[in-house]
Amino acid sequence: MKRLVVVLALAALALPALAAEKVKVTFWHAFGGGRTAFIQRMVDDFNYTHPGIEVKAEYKGSYRDTLNAAILAARQGNPPHIVQIFEVGTQMALDSGIFVPVEDYVPAILKFQLEDYIKPVANYYRIKGKFNSVPWNSSNPILYYNKTIFKKAGLDPANPPKTFGEVMEACKKIEATKAAPKCITWPLHSWFVEQWIAEQGALLANNENGRAARATDVYIDSPAMRRIVEWWKAMYDKGYYVYSGKPEDWDGANQLFVSQQAAMEITSTSDVTFMQNAAFENGFELGTGFLPIPDGVERNGTVVGGASLWLTKGHPQDEMTAALTFLIWFTNTENMVRWHKGTGYFPVLNTSVKVLEWQHWFERNPAYRAAFDQLLQTKLNRATQGALLGPFPEIRTIIENMIQAIFQGKPIDQALKEADAAADKALKEYNAAVGK
Amino acid sequence: METETHAAYKSRWLPWILLLPTFVILLVFLYYPTLETFRLSLYRVAFLGIRKTFVGLENYQDLFTNPEYRRIFWNTVVYSSLVVFFSMAVGLFLSVLANQKVRGWRFYRLMLIWPYALSPAVAGVIFLFLFNPQAGIVNYFLDVLFGIRPDWLTHPGLAMFVLVAAAVWKNVGYNVVFYLAALQNLPGDVLEAALIDGATPWQRFWKVTFPLLSPMTFFLFVMNTIYAFFDTFPFVDLLTKGGPNGATNVLIYNIYRDGFEFYKTGMAAAQSVVLFVGVVILTVLQFRWGERRVHYGG
Repeated sequence: MKRLVVVLALAALALPALAAEKVKVTFWHAFGGGRTAFIQRMVDDFNYTHPGIEVKAEYKGSYRDTLNAAILAARQGNPPHIVQIFEVGTQMALDSGIFVPVEDYVPAILKFQLEDYIKPVANYYRIKGKFNSVPWNSSNPILYYNKTIFKKAGLDPANPPKTFGEVMEACKKIEATKAAPKCITWPLHSWFVEQWIAEQGALLANNENGRAARATDVYIDSPAMRRIVEWWKAMYDKGYYVYSGKPEDWDGANQLFVSQQAAMEITSTSDVTFMQNAAFENGFELGTGFLPIPDGVERNGTVVGGASLWLTKGHPQDEMTAALTFLIWFTNTENMVRWHKGTGYFPVLNTSVKVLEWQHWFERNPAYRAAFDQLLQTKLNRATQGALLGPFPEIRTIIENMIQAIFQGKPIDQALKEADAAADKALKEYNAAVGK
Repeated sequence: METETHAAYKSRWLPWILLLPTFVILLVFLYYPTLETFRLSLYRVAFLGIRKTFVGLENYQDLFTNPEYRRIFWNTVVYSSLVVFFSMAVGLFLSVLANQKVRGWRFYRLMLIWPYALSPAVAGVIFLFLFNPQAGIVNYFLDVLFGIRPDWLTHPGLAMFVLVAAAVWKNVGYNVVFYLAALQNLPGDVLEAALIDGATPWQRFWKVTFPLLSPMTFFLFVMNTIYAFFDTFPFVDLLTKGGPNGATNVLIYNIYRDGFEFYKTGMAAAQSVVLFVGVVILTVLQFRWGERRVHYGG
């Protein structure tokens, strides 16, 4: 009897091991809150329809935390299979040597999906002709404006300002009519500076934005930069521009706009869904428009922001195949439609866009229209491709410090020169550290 | 000593075996990381250690010649001195008040200690809301009373003020607890003698109470210094991110930033070593100079 129990118990232990020889794939991402749950629902769907594979999605904190965690895990020899990395971490991810270029591993029969990416997105993520990662969440900055305040100020609610000068004019009216306490806000973030440089068709770094060869010189002391900071400083001095006082404070800017302290906000298109809900709750009418650009320059378009999915190296063949199967499924036509509707991030496949158009999605949701048109009208050149810089996070901080220094009254000439030197030094040190 | 040990433990090895877990923990979590930090500070490190190049003292040279870093050192000195001074002064003042037997003293004492129970992150968020230039309650009242709305976090001096205020507010409770305990244990006869001799309250405090509190003051000085140097990271991260333009960038925040945001692990390690040496020197000085003035009573 005793023996029988032991045998049965052993059998019971062995059974699940025999039954579930699933290939396990780990996926680390940086989306907290409601998006964690949204991703989990998609992953559950995948696991349900792919009985041989079990994907485990884990939220790892901010973009930076996720990248740090992946590097540390790789050093210990146990990296996750798939890691979400923000766009400015692209050069860093390439240099870290812990990833493989995804395009080399996509089976021929699925290559069609890589050809399906909308041009601006492919333009950013295709480096030297090859996708090193799978584009996933992509966004741009756009102008959100409060139509209710616009009407009060006597501005045309169907016609938001398109240039720096027009923003200034609108602000003058809003101030004169006291339609809102402040005119416009956006986070004090280098991302907007990078966008405005691209809009002017200018480069942020040498060697064609670091795309033709590794960048060795950052262009901060440039006419394009000067146009941006001169306007920004004037807006700040006149009290038209307002921010929470903390750099990179996305929530602070949203709070100012949503509480109707400011009539306009420039921020990411990934907030469209959030803004629509907030406008409804706070009882104002929301409008969206293109990112306002410097006067007298041709509109080149924006750089794709967001993140992509990277595949780490050093896994057995079956796990690599399973991870790729998931990656391709996760970003396929129908899932991109679902992702766009759930978050506001761009549908990055041409076929997804066709599905959405067929559903008259953009007519029914005009707020998404501006975001998407701006992306599709972007000219494809080195400027809008975006810079590839290893120490991008540090250079962003240098640019943000520069802007704060200019607000405090540092002469623009001197501020640009100093920031340019600091950024060049950061780049030199980074290049030396990675041995290039 | 020898005989005593042998009296307590039969075996010569038993005490060592009992101490072993402590040593292992110290070794793994304290001494090893410390030594590793010293070692890393001599390298240029990429990607948290995937690639390393020995550069000797180059990191230190950069630290001491780069004006950015000198500014960080200066910020750290200003910030820490203000935090230490005000959290102790306010702590002492409040505990003297709370030491009086007034109606509701239990309530006052509880309320004074309460902020200490909050995590620094929560305290930071509270201050962020309070000092929000547009929607904060501080500016609301300033506007109503004086018609001004300062941009707290955009002005270097004001940003430093908010940071110091947050750190002081958070730590005052700690000082109140210890000062209150010390005040309650003061020898009543000495104070009574002073009272009979006709000393004014002011004299009684500065000539009798304050010197008698000196051991506690000394202890709190050391603890507050450590707090100001090491535990105030969340305030900087939540309130200013070192801004505006690096005006509130202190060493502990910059170490994190260089290490984990900018991937300059070697530089971060060199700064940790500087911070470590600084705190060691400070502690030694405090014991050298402080001990002499401390009156431990009878």
